[in-house]
Amino acid sequence: MRKQEGRIELMAPAGGFDSLMAAIHAGADSVYFGVDQFNMRARATMNFTLGDLPEIAQICQDNGVRTYLTLNTIVYDHDISAVRNVLKGVKDAGITAVIAADQAVIAMARSMGIEVHISTQVNITNIETVRFYAMFADTIVLSRELSLSQVKHITGQIKKEQIYGPSGRLVEIEIFVHGALCMAVSGKCYLSLHSDNSSANRGACVQNCRRKYTVIDQESGNQLAIENEYIMSAQDLCTIDFLDQVIDSGVTVMKIEGRGKGPEYVKTTVECYKEAIEDYYNGTYNQDKVADWMFRLKEVYNRGFWSGYYLGQKLGEWNDVSGSKATTRKLYIGKGKHYFDKIKVAEFKIEAYSLSAGDRILVTGPTTGAVETIVDEIHTDAGPVVEAKKGDNVSFKLDTMIRPSDKLYKIIPAPEPTH
Amino acid sequence: MATVVHRRNKCIGCNYCVDIAPDFWRMSRKDGKAVLLGAEDKRGNWVLKIPDTDIEINKRAADACPVKVIDVRE
Repeated sequence: MRKQEGRIELMAPAGGFDSLMAAIHAGADSVYFGVDQFNMRARATMNFTLGDLPEIAQICQDNGVRTYLTLNTIVYDHDISAVRNVLKGVKDAGITAVIAADQAVIAMARSMGIEVHISTQVNITNIETVRFYAMFADTIVLSRELSLSQVKHITGQIKKEQIYGPSGRLVEIEIFVHGALCMAVSGKCYLSLHSDNSSANRGACVQNCRRKYTVIDQESGNQLAIENEYIMSAQDLCTIDFLDQVIDSGVTVMKIEGRGKGPEYVKTTVECYKEAIEDYYNGTYNQDKVADWMFRLKEVYNRGFWSGYYLGQKLGEWNDVSGSKATTRKLYIGKGKHYFDKIKVAEFKIEAYSLSAGDRILVTGPTTGAVETIVDEIHTDAGPVVEAKKGDNVSFKLDTMIRPSDKLYKIIPAPEPTH
Repeated sequence: MATVVHRRNKCIGCNYCVDIAPDFWRMSRKDGKAVLLGAEDKRGNWVLKIPDTDIEINKRAADACPVKVIDVRE
């Protein structure tokens, strides 16, 4: 296992092979992902299929990374045999554990000898519920709405009362440390079901909370003045500025949200949190580093940051823009052609815009993951150039091997959001 | 005549179509997704011809589908 004994585990989201590789390269200890419709990102186009499980398991085993399959939607009778099929796939492929919410899934997985983790969808908020689920699960993801002092109480009681999971180890506690939060208590929101017949608890949330709203007084017809029209859109969770307190709370696994986000998001968030964890254990975690991590985290998808409920803040940390506040964005410019291994030169075909010496680039792909660098010298078929244009084959030095399935992006500053 | 098209791979198995039009839709025990009974697989789109009298009930199923993977084409 890559995780060092006694150190906190960093778990990354993997919405596809590109994000999976980005997570591994960035130093994640474990990854979580969904297959087909039985997970909370059922709408996402990039979900893995059951047939991908052996490959995922193999890649992760080779890299010492643990694998967790999310199987955490609500389950109907007609799903039972299909869920059993998925669990069989998990068992056969050697996936480390399943993250479950429904008791049927928990019971079936246990009867097949599969390790179970309890999803945040179960909203576990007290030690007695932890004790109950410890009969079935080795790791429990707490409700995202607890404060760190409440979390600390739970982890303390587990040690004091010696609450063990089925594996015979003390039950582990996991919390979310970064990414999107729900406006409602996780998994207890029915807005999407009411408005669009589309259940968030079947992974089909239409994200009503991320839209703008007006408030109208029906008697007078007057629109009420509200400062922020995104009155239900919670900002994203970020804990890197108090990660020392997170680790001190006694949790043993920290999870990053974002199976619907790109590989560059996975790469940046995992790298930042990994560095912060290392610095914590080395005694070198400090505010200067926090400033650098915050700068980098703001470059990728985010709705603005707040500390969630961990520090006991009141509600009201609402986002004020539609979508991301990331300070950079990626612009697709071309696809991979060839990698000259001996001289470490990558060649791409430019299909849109242009590439100039000095540009910051991102390469993503199912094997490559996410690689970022600044190109200094670029060549086209005509020799060294300052700028390569659409249609050109461009090549430059790159230490990482690229493949024809890779995409080349330019990272550019994002325009200030307008309302 | 009309045609019902089911883009099955994007189905999330919510069961609404079965509740509304059980004569046309069933849940698969194999993969938990809906099955359009008697339909033909045309490269992932499952297609069934229906008489005009069955249009309305299938339109109601299409309207209820949260992921909009059912089309009724007249």
